[in-house]
Amino acid sequence: MRRGCRAAPPGTDLVAATEIVAVTTSSNLANRLDSIVGTGHVRAPTNSEARAADTIVEPGSVEEICELVRMCEADRIALAPMGAARSLAVIRPSPVALGISMARLARIVAYEPDDMTIVAESGITVGALNTAMGSARQRLPVDPCNPSVTTLGSLVCAAHSGPLRLSEGTSRDLLIGVRFVGHGGNLVHGGGRVVKNVAGYDLMKLMGGSFGTLGIVTEVTFKVRPVPAEYWVAVIPCARAADAFAAARIVNDALPLSNLDILSPSFARRFNSTLQFLLLAGFSGSPLEIGYQAERIRDLVGPRGEILDDEAALRSYGLLRDLDFRSAPLAAQIAVPLAHLGRALEACGDDIEFRAHAGSGVAQILLADEPSAERAVKTVARWREAAHSARGTLRLLAATPAIRDSLEVFDTPNAGALSLMRRLKAAFDPAGIFNPGCFVGGI
Amino acid sequence: MTAKDQPQKRCSWYSAGLNARAIEMSSIDRKLLDELREILGDGGIVSRATELKVYECDGWTVEKSIPDVLLLPRSTSQLSAILAALHRRGVAFVPRGAGTGLSGGCLPLNAPAMICTSKMNRIVEIDLDNRRVVAESGVVNLHITNAVKAKGFFYAPDPSSQVACTIGGNIAENSGGPHTLKYGVTTNHVLALELVLPEGDVVELGDPTEERCGYDLVGAVVGAEGTTGIVTRATLKLMREPENHRTLLATFPDADTATHAVSKIIASGIVPAALEMMDQLIIQAVEQAFNVGLPLDAGAVLIIELEGLEAGLTSHADEVTKTALAAGASSIRLARDEAERALLWKARKRAFGAVGRLAPNYATQDGVVPRTCLPRILRVIADVSRRYDLRIGNVFHAGDGNLHPIILYDEREPDQVRRAIEAGREILKACIEMGGSLTGEHGIGVEKIGEMALMFSPDDLRVMTELRHVFDPLERSNPGKVIPQPGTCVEVAAPRRQVPI
Repeated sequence: MRRGCRAAPPGTDLVAATEIVAVTTSSNLANRLDSIVGTGHVRAPTNSEARAADTIVEPGSVEEICELVRMCEADRIALAPMGAARSLAVIRPSPVALGISMARLARIVAYEPDDMTIVAESGITVGALNTAMGSARQRLPVDPCNPSVTTLGSLVCAAHSGPLRLSEGTSRDLLIGVRFVGHGGNLVHGGGRVVKNVAGYDLMKLMGGSFGTLGIVTEVTFKVRPVPAEYWVAVIPCARAADAFAAARIVNDALPLSNLDILSPSFARRFNSTLQFLLLAGFSGSPLEIGYQAERIRDLVGPRGEILDDEAALRSYGLLRDLDFRSAPLAAQIAVPLAHLGRALEACGDDIEFRAHAGSGVAQILLADEPSAERAVKTVARWREAAHSARGTLRLLAATPAIRDSLEVFDTPNAGALSLMRRLKAAFDPAGIFNPGCFVGGI
Repeated sequence: MTAKDQPQKRCSWYSAGLNARAIEMSSIDRKLLDELREILGDGGIVSRATELKVYECDGWTVEKSIPDVLLLPRSTSQLSAILAALHRRGVAFVPRGAGTGLSGGCLPLNAPAMICTSKMNRIVEIDLDNRRVVAESGVVNLHITNAVKAKGFFYAPDPSSQVACTIGGNIAENSGGPHTLKYGVTTNHVLALELVLPEGDVVELGDPTEERCGYDLVGAVVGAEGTTGIVTRATLKLMREPENHRTLLATFPDADTATHAVSKIIASGIVPAALEMMDQLIIQAVEQAFNVGLPLDAGAVLIIELEGLEAGLTSHADEVTKTALAAGASSIRLARDEAERALLWKARKRAFGAVGRLAPNYATQDGVVPRTCLPRILRVIADVSRRYDLRIGNVFHAGDGNLHPIILYDEREPDQVRRAIEAGREILKACIEMGGSLTGEHGIGVEKIGEMALMFSPDDLRVMTELRHVFDPLERSNPGKVIPQPGTCVEVAAPRRQVPI
């Protein structure tokens, strides 16, 4: 039998749905896909995409996506939007029948530097977007790992963020408009192009972190920010994690930092740290502000560590941003109230490596060596327990195929919230075709 | 302009697609009233018409409607019990905070019961280590900041009504304020909510962390104008007080020059914490009321607040001063001390009150345009003012492009009321044509519901209705708001007044 995912809402006859999928993913389907997106835009998945989807289409217009959705609804074919397919590969228990690649929808639609807003199709990468804004000295300050491969669609729908979330927020704070193809193949928009807007329900928030389960985001509008005149970073080695968290708290209380991150030993070594843990406190502003902050940090943390300026600071920031958790055999993101982060990481066990956004209460953690399925289950259970006992949550970022099936990617929301989420899913996706069966509570 | 004295119906255009029902709402009988009194006690229920008159409108005074009964729960469990009781009888309700809203968001439309959260006003938990506070929805906005400012923290959204408006109302309307230029609006500061659904079920949404588990339902509820149930409690983020401020007052010969300067200042790469504008009419009113020393001969003033590290503020202030003068400011001065700064902000935040001296009534608009369109939209407003023969003052969040034209009128003259509404609508239309929005922070309410179709397609509105039904399938929580529908025709020019006897 094919691995094609069953596309059926809870309660419907799954066997029947599978049969439909099996029938339609034949040459008949290939022909129909060709007729919608044009020959040459339907292909087999690459190796890295194979865990995400069985067949990939690359539509060249929003109208083609609308038509694909209508076709899939009629025939109950599961589909999912994808950028580089990295998030899908982790969250999907089995590949979806049809991956909708946004690669050909990657244009900047409108950019007005004086308004500090930008409208772009969801297939463009964060890196390409920021390159385009470089001459105006502006940027979208959301900084996932490897921005040159992270598409805006993925940034929003898979809720990626990075060290700058401390000072600039996440895509949740900066997304001011969205267009998506919803059920019925209808193009829907929420928000607009202005930085402040409360007309109608906030569909941007619904799409954020929805992992393609409510529709296919085709266009996003962001508030953007000026690139600071200068960026420096204080690099402070600490013998123990607790020392690093204590120092982080002191500087965070005293200064409006750009980022504040703590690295565990194996990551710290990449920064040539001689001690176990490393605290990186980034700060920015005008030359006067920079000089003042550098001095304050020296006062606050004493003589340990050094302050990197200009190129060296940017190099170390790049290294910090691009620490890759999604290539690890097992990795997760933990989020707890900020003061509990140190303790929660300690409770995760001494076999982890981590990058902690110490000013935000969010950290990425990983196991360096591939665990057995049994150890993976135990490890993730311990991580979840650590997160939950600090009133936080945990989400898997990576798991090898061998262990993925025995693990839950998402936490389960409380019963009341989950029941509303199921109703939301049923309302936005009555045919159950949008990336089904892989989100919270099996949505 | 002909003086027609006919009520003008803003009936719904919207009937396509959805299972749009004209929903029959039940009324409140004596038995239900007894049941509610049983739950709330005598002090928790108001049903005498003379006392209910106070609740006939919010800050949008153009339209009025008195509820049949006002309910004042003291706890989530009481609120849950009364919603369950109303649900059993199919009675619709309208939530209300302090009634300071400006779009008629808590005006009852086919909703016999009004539920006011003002008695649920405890700050439940202050957790400075985690920079958050848990507050009941009836807590007054400013009380949050007052409770934490001694420790160097504050709650960022600062609507002009912050001495009175409640957190629940702020959440319903996704309120902003002058400092949203830097800090964002309410939705950027809410981590978690306790929500009572229209059937009476209590749900917890969100976590006390900066990530979300599952769909962002908190984000869906904030700004839903009370159409998803009633929020009883919220976990809010606290911000660290900046090291220092510089507050500048720049004087301009006319509004056009002032709005050009706004773009120049922002484009210079310095994003102020707040950037507010007042035009001549407002300056006159504010001076009469508060005598803060604004230049009476000015065409417009900008209040520019910079905040951050003391080390950088002086040079930033110098740079803004240079930019403003180069852009045509006739003078610019720095608030000398905290007292002068406070006086400027008092003038700005009470400008609406001061306008009360100029005319018996006023209606405030809340349209938004891209910042670079500010000069154009102000010319449109001036033109509308001339054509409709109505005075319009402007006091607004220039840095965000969020307008607040204040249209002065006299409700005793029906033709003025009609013109005021028409003028407002024309301004909003122009905002949309420039790529803007109907509302930046006041909400749709009843005021702008007829204009929603200018901004959203039938498909957009259908999807929004589907979202609403996730929380409130029978549309009993604040019926007739946000999304235009048959059965919620709003009569204007003949304001609704139920018989107050």
